[in-house]
Amino acid sequence: MVMMVRQQMICIVASDWPGGADLPDPVSKSLTDLFADVGVVHFASIALLPAMSDAQSQLPSLMLELVTEEGLRPYDLLYRLVNHPSGAMWSLYGVYWREQPPLASQRNQELLAQLMSWCHIADGGFVGARDRTVRQIEMEKRLLEQTRIEARALKAEHGKDRASFALALARWAFQNPSLEWATEPAPRSFWRGRGAGAAAKVAYPSLIVGLWLASLWLVGALSRLVVRADTWLFDRSNSVVQAVFHAISETSRYLLGASGRFLLAFAVIAFTLWVFFVALPALFASWRRWLDSLGRELDRPTETWSSLSTYVAVWLVGAPLVLAGIWYVVVYTFWPNVVERTIRPWIPAGPGWKQLVIGALVILVLVGIGALLSRLNRLLPKANAWFFRPHEDDVDRAQQVHQSIEHCEAQLVRRTAHMISLTDMRSPHWWSVWWTRVFLRLVTFLGSVLFTEGRLGEAPGIHFGHWHIIDNGRRYLFCSNYDGNFGGYLDDFINGASVGTTLFWRWTQLMPRAPAADDQPGVAEPRAFPPTRFLAFRGVKSELKFKSYARDSMLPHLYRFDACNSTIDEIDRATALRGALFGERNDSNDEQIMRAIE
Amino acid sequence: MKVSTGNPDAMPPGLRGLSYGVFCWLNRHITVLRGIGAVLRLWPSLGGRFGLAARASAVKGVLTRPRSFSNRAHAPNLVAGDYLIAMDPGPVYDADRALLKTRLAALNVQAGADQEAQGRLVELRQLGEKPFDLIDDYLMWIAFHAIQPVFGTAASEVAAGAGGDVNDRGLQRQYLLEIRYVAGQLLSGSLATLGIARRAEVCGDSLRARIKGVSGNIRKAWSVSSPSEFIERNAVGLAWISHPVTVQSGALVVQELLSRPKVYRTLRAMAAQTGDRVWEDERFRDGVRDHVLELMRFRPIFPLLARDVPRDTEFETGGRRNAQCPGGGKVALLSIAALFDPRVVSDSGRFCPHRNWGHEEGLRWLMFGYGHRQCPAKNHAVDILTSALIGLLTMPELRLARDDGRAITYDGPLMSRMRVRFAEQA
Repeated sequence: MVMMVRQQMICIVASDWPGGADLPDPVSKSLTDLFADVGVVHFASIALLPAMSDAQSQLPSLMLELVTEEGLRPYDLLYRLVNHPSGAMWSLYGVYWREQPPLASQRNQELLAQLMSWCHIADGGFVGARDRTVRQIEMEKRLLEQTRIEARALKAEHGKDRASFALALARWAFQNPSLEWATEPAPRSFWRGRGAGAAAKVAYPSLIVGLWLASLWLVGALSRLVVRADTWLFDRSNSVVQAVFHAISETSRYLLGASGRFLLAFAVIAFTLWVFFVALPALFASWRRWLDSLGRELDRPTETWSSLSTYVAVWLVGAPLVLAGIWYVVVYTFWPNVVERTIRPWIPAGPGWKQLVIGALVILVLVGIGALLSRLNRLLPKANAWFFRPHEDDVDRAQQVHQSIEHCEAQLVRRTAHMISLTDMRSPHWWSVWWTRVFLRLVTFLGSVLFTEGRLGEAPGIHFGHWHIIDNGRRYLFCSNYDGNFGGYLDDFINGASVGTTLFWRWTQLMPRAPAADDQPGVAEPRAFPPTRFLAFRGVKSELKFKSYARDSMLPHLYRFDACNSTIDEIDRATALRGALFGERNDSNDEQIMRAIE
Repeated sequence: MKVSTGNPDAMPPGLRGLSYGVFCWLNRHITVLRGIGAVLRLWPSLGGRFGLAARASAVKGVLTRPRSFSNRAHAPNLVAGDYLIAMDPGPVYDADRALLKTRLAALNVQAGADQEAQGRLVELRQLGEKPFDLIDDYLMWIAFHAIQPVFGTAASEVAAGAGGDVNDRGLQRQYLLEIRYVAGQLLSGSLATLGIARRAEVCGDSLRARIKGVSGNIRKAWSVSSPSEFIERNAVGLAWISHPVTVQSGALVVQELLSRPKVYRTLRAMAAQTGDRVWEDERFRDGVRDHVLELMRFRPIFPLLARDVPRDTEFETGGRRNAQCPGGGKVALLSIAALFDPRVVSDSGRFCPHRNWGHEEGLRWLMFGYGHRQCPAKNHAVDILTSALIGLLTMPELRLARDDGRAITYDGPLMSRMRVRFAEQA
């Protein structure tokens, strides 16, 4: 599942590009014709990646980004592109060959092998407009346009009566033979269809756990059966067979017990977290405010006494609690007696009612301390202001965007925007790469299963965003195709998916690099990603620093292909219209039709 | 018109991979399917409950009622566009079938296959005991040269593509690979994983584009004045349906033959006795042809067939009760079970190429369908396989080459590679 998403977004990074910074018009045109003809490429772009400062050859690399339909394997896609009769791919990459092979088949075979060696599937990615092919988007877009035209004609007759207006439009659609394709509901993958509810999400891990426990029990039961059968058949005990199967049975029993204890410990931890982060905030406004304040202070981009003290407090209280939780789960799973021995001395001696009273008193004291601090906070407004006052954000210069980047962005006004960012992995590389990959895979998984309706967290408008670790783990490439503009796009991430974005970028830095070509941006001074707290906090919340960092990492594109040129909203609206027009006539569908054509 | 050939996977994660794996495994281990078939023949009502026909009478009954059990079941798997095999009877079907008959009548597959087999064997003889791929180095080319004249004078252009060098064998190989994947989808059908299905669709797109590029040449070669849509639909269909299925059947025939050393030795001895007249001797050829059919019975390329049920009906399972088939559903035909039904095939478990099928001769060809919808090119296919087998019989003994791992590699339910070698030089 994760692999399928990753394969949808590939980058072909051809090192030592000898072709210069200009892509001839015939090559661009033949590539556009190729992608349009093949009909499975959503987006494509070409850019030059500057060479690493310590690279032997200082020639740039040519990066071809290809975003394709779901399920298509990179080899199959490249096979189709390379073997296309137009020879467009050869017209791009032919410069790598001193002599053109005599036969087209040989030429294509060599090119395909070379492209596969340069091909990087995404280390992580997110797809906004899921489950849609290029053809489907185009045809649904035409359906929307046709319906709007028809609606204008029908409005005079049915304008005020929504139900009859929708019925007339639906009748028109059903009677239109060219729209027969739309009578089938738009396809939906499992996690957007039958698996969209919470039940399927819970059922899957439950099923896996259930199968694990059942298989452990089955192995144990079968082993015991074999031992008994051996005893009964041969009237013997202590045979080698019995010893082996007895050991298997005991191991199975131990693993079953350990699994059960782990599940119990996990449930206790999950319940505690639920109480802490869900139940208490729902019951007490003050608790909710305190939690919000805690998160805000950890994310606070500037150094203040409040953020510093929260940071220290979390180290003093939060970190030991997390460690204690992990210790409890591990020890209770494997050595349950140790937990019992450790906890028992802490439980006061005496009857149960005394223990309950002591527990209640402890809670009262804690609530009292909280109330006192809150009172002090209100009584001392000056100290309060000093404590929370933010310093100025320390971006030491006005952000200068390279002309080539501005030029590319200007080209894409009213089209799907595009961003290419190239940063360096922090040293030690293996450590940075490992952690980055872990979080990229996690987010790719969550994107496939949970964020299936075009929003990553609370960030909307992403068509395809993908991350690649290239150059043997030295560099980090991010390409995104999104709606809107750069500033708004990053704002969406900062406000809607700050934890994920911080986790993707926190192990990166910007090292000095020469421009890939004369009119392209380089990096003069090394830059670090804005500092983070507890891995996931702060980071991108240092808005100016983060935007400046992202801007400096950007590269311009030399070529751009956009198959559909529709926003996510337009795509969703067109699909919804298809369902509503050809679905049953009810208020909800009528409303959907009105929304689509307005 | 299809909006989107590449539908997302609506099945729960893991389930498609599992079901496809089981399906492929069953296709490769045909004896297991035969076992299941035997059980269902014994209790036909049990199969009937699940829409499965197993007895020969039941399978024949379903296949002779094309209006109640529709071939449209194949339609979702035709990634390169609609074609005869998935059409219901009607004017389009009739026109396409008439064209097919005309094109098949113009073929002389035996001559083409014989000539190519002899040429290929000269090359393979040079290899000595070195291994080669029976599919890619032998069967594929024999079927290609026998069938490709179906496009008349446009045959070379179809294989090379518009503007391609007709002498570039690599382009021909590419074409043959593409149609193999398109045909593979017919076999694995809606069970195929998304990756397999998308590959087939991409190849289907490529095939359509290829045919479109040379449709003028095909029109000229066929001397028809029909619309381009008609020409392209039939040319695409003819391209993918004939060749890969024949090649795959050939590989299955050889696989089965190699698992029967005694039969293989007998056939080789017959070929040796025939001597130089091996390609001309009609009696010998008929004998080999009977063997081909019997080998195909043991390893049919379509051991399972599906049919759509357009409206509520039922079929006779052979048991006490008929099987109820609700409209909108499907039925599955275990043709492998029917081919071994002892009620109609005497001593059905025994390998017997010269069995007298009597009035059940039609059942002998069940791997090509049955009744009016039977494959019209069945004789052509068997002729090609007969030529290919005769060629192999004239050579030293063939053995599976297990030098670098498995001799047979599968791509889903299909064999993609069959590494073999000649044991000793003649």
